Amino acid sequence: MKKWVSLLAALCLLVAMALYSMMAGSIKVGLGELVSGLLWGNNPQVDVIRDLRLPRVFVAMLCGAALAVSGVLLQSVMRNPLADAGVIGISAGAGFAGLLVTAVFPALFFYIPLFAVMGGLLACFLVYLFSWKSGLQPLRLILVGVAINAAFTGFNHVLGSFGGSSATSRITSSTFHMKTWQDVEMILLYGGITLTLSFFLSTWCNMLALQDRTASNLGLNVMRARIVISLVAVMLASAATAVGGLIVFVGLLVPHIARQFVGSDHKLLIPFSAVGGALLILFADTAGRTLIAPIEIPASVIMMMIGGPFLIFMLLKGDRVHGH
Amino acid sequence: MDIKQLQFHYKNSGAIIRSLSTSISAGKVTTILGPNGSGKSTLLSLLAKNLAPTAGQVIVNGRDLQQFSQKELARQIAVVHQQNEAPFDLTVEKLVEFGRLPYRHMFSFDNKEDAEAVEWAMACTGLTSLKSKKMIELSGGQKQRAWIAMALAQKTNLLFLDEPTTYLDVYYQIELLELVRSLNEQLGLTIVMVLHDVNQAVRYSDELKVMKEGQIVAEGEPKQIMTRELMLRVYDVQAVIREDAEAGFYVIPVASTTPLG
Repeated sequence: MKKWVSLLAALCLLVAMALYSMMAGSIKVGLGELVSGLLWGNNPQVDVIRDLRLPRVFVAMLCGAALAVSGVLLQSVMRNPLADAGVIGISAGAGFAGLLVTAVFPALFFYIPLFAVMGGLLACFLVYLFSWKSGLQPLRLILVGVAINAAFTGFNHVLGSFGGSSATSRITSSTFHMKTWQDVEMILLYGGITLTLSFFLSTWCNMLALQDRTASNLGLNVMRARIVISLVAVMLASAATAVGGLIVFVGLLVPHIARQFVGSDHKLLIPFSAVGGALLILFADTAGRTLIAPIEIPASVIMMMIGGPFLIFMLLKGDRVHGH
Repeated sequence: MDIKQLQFHYKNSGAIIRSLSTSISAGKVTTILGPNGSGKSTLLSLLAKNLAPTAGQVIVNGRDLQQFSQKELARQIAVVHQQNEAPFDLTVEKLVEFGRLPYRHMFSFDNKEDAEAVEWAMACTGLTSLKSKKMIELSGGQKQRAWIAMALAQKTNLLFLDEPTTYLDVYYQIELLELVRSLNEQLGLTIVMVLHDVNQAVRYSDELKVMKEGQIVAEGEPKQIMTRELMLRVYDVQAVIREDAEAGFYVIPVASTTPLG
């Protein structure tokens, strides 16, 4: 019961944050003006906000939700509390494929998320390939992931220095600046479907928290569950990367905090993480563009500044690495 | 349950189970006994489909084990492993509810039958008063009982236990074996377990399967098959075997046959 209240509270906070984010910035409007302007469309200032700020808010929220849920799923399937699409190279792999397509076939703009998924899958496959023999041992998996992340990030910088078009820089440096309704459509299509799918995976994720053989004795086809969950996780992270750019640590931070609030049952953990991720990225983006306006700090940079110290804090706390 | 010419080896390794044929009697407590590395836990894993045999068959209710889907099998066989892991905040009741998953679909919700089975399983194992406790708050014995309750909630006829007493203090070992016996006597469950301790195996089993080097070297009623010769042959030890009014039938190893040095 208390846990459902936490979820509701997080949702309210998200709505409040979204409203604040729309009000704050170079054009300032009051709450009343904003709401009536959005509903009746009689306010030119609010019309500007609807065209420029509202899509940005939506994209930030959906990217955050997708990355956080992707983290929950990866942690479940890899039995590793440190798994995060940004840390183990899945986002970088997705970004790489996205960049490559942008450079070679710029016309395929709307399908970039599809190609990004392929890049993400490649990275995920490589992580599994090189850490499977050790029985997905947590430390080895993370080290393999870091190595793969480094490799793809390197490729990305090379591609980025060739390109320099706006489409290229949107993947390498993540700012939600200049997001349009087309971006919203894209992330809503690719991210929305996979987010919905992820809500149906909670029972499988819960079973994977037991040992594989126990899950299998309870009737779970463990290999199939692993593949499906990984696939959804990669699709979430890749869609977010294709639209919002590379952002690390969301999938690490949010699920960890979410477990403190709602526990380890994925029925609540997944929706709560989705809301938490949306809230965190929206906060990072809003802070980034208002703190030292008119200069914008990208949301990904804000996330690194929050995420780094948080990771150290987690390690100092002796966070139990389960799976061993 | 029939086992026909079962063989198993890992890739690039020698045979662990070599052409093993036997059968498990319904409604009995059967214990697989043997020294380390004799293949007893491997045999149980094969019977539970946690491993697939290299050759041979395991027949359950007239069907080859490999033909069962994972879910179908979970309605026939429940397994309690030696060591288990659970999330940090999982309660006893939530754990036992896992035992109902073989009867669920992706879109189905808890029904009355599930709730009753969970209550029943906790009552059978004496956990009703502990149901909202978290697993990490339980003692070793209580934990093991919670895993058994989860297995019971699966409402299977067959219950497998892999060395269920290994990590327990002696009080909890006896408590657990008494529980196993009562599950067999009162619910008519067919129980197959792997035990390390010869005397516990003798005392709590209707039938023993004694293994050495991947084969069954003796099987049958404990008192009939447990002899000095068998102890020598299987464990390489000289043993004294007695029957006492108070202690019952017991085996005491007294000397190893290969002295140190």
